[in-house]
Amino acid sequence: MKNNDSDELIIANKELAFQNSEKVKREAELIIANKELDYQNSEKKDRAAELIIANKELDFQNSEKEHRAAELIIANKELLFQNEEKERRAAELIIANKELIFQNEEKEQRAAELIIANKELIFQNEEKERRAAELIIANKELAFQNKEKEKRAKELINANKGLKKAEDDIRKLNDELEQKVIERTSQLESVNKELESFSYSVSHDLRAPIRAINGYTRIILEDYVDKFDTDGVKILNAIINNSKKMGELIDDLLAFSKLGRKQVSLSEINMLDLVYSVRDEFLFEEGENIPEFEIGALLPAMGDQSLIKQVWINLISNGIKYSKYKEKTTIEIDSHQAGGFVVYKVKDEGAGFDMEYYDKLFGVFQRLHSQSEFEGTGIGLAIVQKIIQRHNGTVWATSKLNEGTSFYFSLPSLNVKI
Amino acid sequence: MNYDNVEILFVEDSADDAALTIRALIKSGFTNKLHHVMDGAEALDFMYYRGAYADRKKQANPKLILLDLKMPKVSGIQVLEKIKSDPEFSSIPVVMLTSSNEGPDIDKCYALGANSYIVKPVDSDNFFKTIKEIGLYWLILSQHSD
Repeated sequence: MKNNDSDELIIANKELAFQNSEKVKREAELIIANKELDYQNSEKKDRAAELIIANKELDFQNSEKEHRAAELIIANKELLFQNEEKERRAAELIIANKELIFQNEEKEQRAAELIIANKELIFQNEEKERRAAELIIANKELAFQNKEKEKRAKELINANKGLKKAEDDIRKLNDELEQKVIERTSQLESVNKELESFSYSVSHDLRAPIRAINGYTRIILEDYVDKFDTDGVKILNAIINNSKKMGELIDDLLAFSKLGRKQVSLSEINMLDLVYSVRDEFLFEEGENIPEFEIGALLPAMGDQSLIKQVWINLISNGIKYSKYKEKTTIEIDSHQAGGFVVYKVKDEGAGFDMEYYDKLFGVFQRLHSQSEFEGTGIGLAIVQKIIQRHNGTVWATSKLNEGTSFYFSLPSLNVKI
Repeated sequence: MNYDNVEILFVEDSADDAALTIRALIKSGFTNKLHHVMDGAEALDFMYYRGAYADRKKQANPKLILLDLKMPKVSGIQVLEKIKSDPEFSSIPVVMLTSSNEGPDIDKCYALGANSYIVKPVDSDNFFKTIKEIGLYWLILSQHSD
């Protein structure tokens, strides 16, 4: 434009000479046009400055756009990743949906079951209500019974008070009785002691004259036999036999009274050994009824060995003696446990006795058979009883006439204090 | 009377027991050497050469003493104690004779040195045998210090 204006100016100038008249007109116009041009030039400068600014702005916007583009790339990548994520989620959702469908089916089944269960529950609730109604009735009954019980309890308390008083009375009476028993026991003990010393001295002092009678009679029989006839000799022999018998009675009585005073020293007794030794000590003569022993497993017991040996001797010899008219003699010995005691049995198949006279069986010098039938002083069983009693045991018998007798005695088991 | 050859001193207060014992001893052959005294005091007089026995020859002591337990005045136990505690007599066998086997003194007699403790049997047969055995055992079978 500048170049065009300059050219125009050149032309204009040439024309100027031509146009001098025009010039003044045109100069005014040129001034105006120059002013216009100046204005337009400054405008152009302003526009250039603006363009520079606009260019700078564009530059800035371009660089902004590049930033945004870079950001967009990143955003696109992010979007891509998110899309993939969404696809994955979608696949998972499909699976989850399937699961949900299955669960829904399950829920329906459960719902059906719940309906059935609810029905059952309703029925049970009805039952419960019925029961509750019954319980109310039962409770009323119970309440009534409780009242009754309270009434009874009161009555019982009253009765107990009465009973307590009666009990106190009984206790008092018992104490009195106990005291009396103690007194009586000590009296009895002293009487017993007196009796023992009496029986001892009687036996002791009786022995001497009996010995003299026996001895002198024998002297008569030995030195003066020719002065007597047959009857006289018979009588002398009778005196000897009787005094001898009396000596035996006295010795037995003495042994018996001695027993009451003897200290019982307890130890463990091997009963089988003891019975075997007693059995082996019996001596038999030819032609005698040798007994057959049947000895069972004998339990051990606590006792005074020498005293218990005497018990076995007395019981076994009894069995042998009372079997002497039988074809054979059988002695059966056995034992069994009974509470804190061992019970021993000696059984024979001998003469036996009438149980009607049982209470005489263990009495001192009491006999249930005649002397001519079975010899003896009648002390053997009394000794047995006394020995067993001193061991806190018991002795008893069962018998049948002509069939035999069983004697039993009990002794404390091992480890039982007596 | 000569007491020098007394082999058995027999101390017994009961005339009956004495008669029967002596008879048994005589029948068993222990006759001439027997001396019987009636109680414990006389027994000690005999042993210690006193009274009627003052002239008895010293050291000619009996070989056996049969001593009844129950006697008046000086009892058998006292005689036993005296004899057994005296060194001159302590080796002489002493056989205690008693009426029953239940003396409170049976242990005491043995403790004091009695050699036997015999219960006189009621039956004279047994009595005879017992006396004979005592004589046999202590006078013939048993060995003495002299």
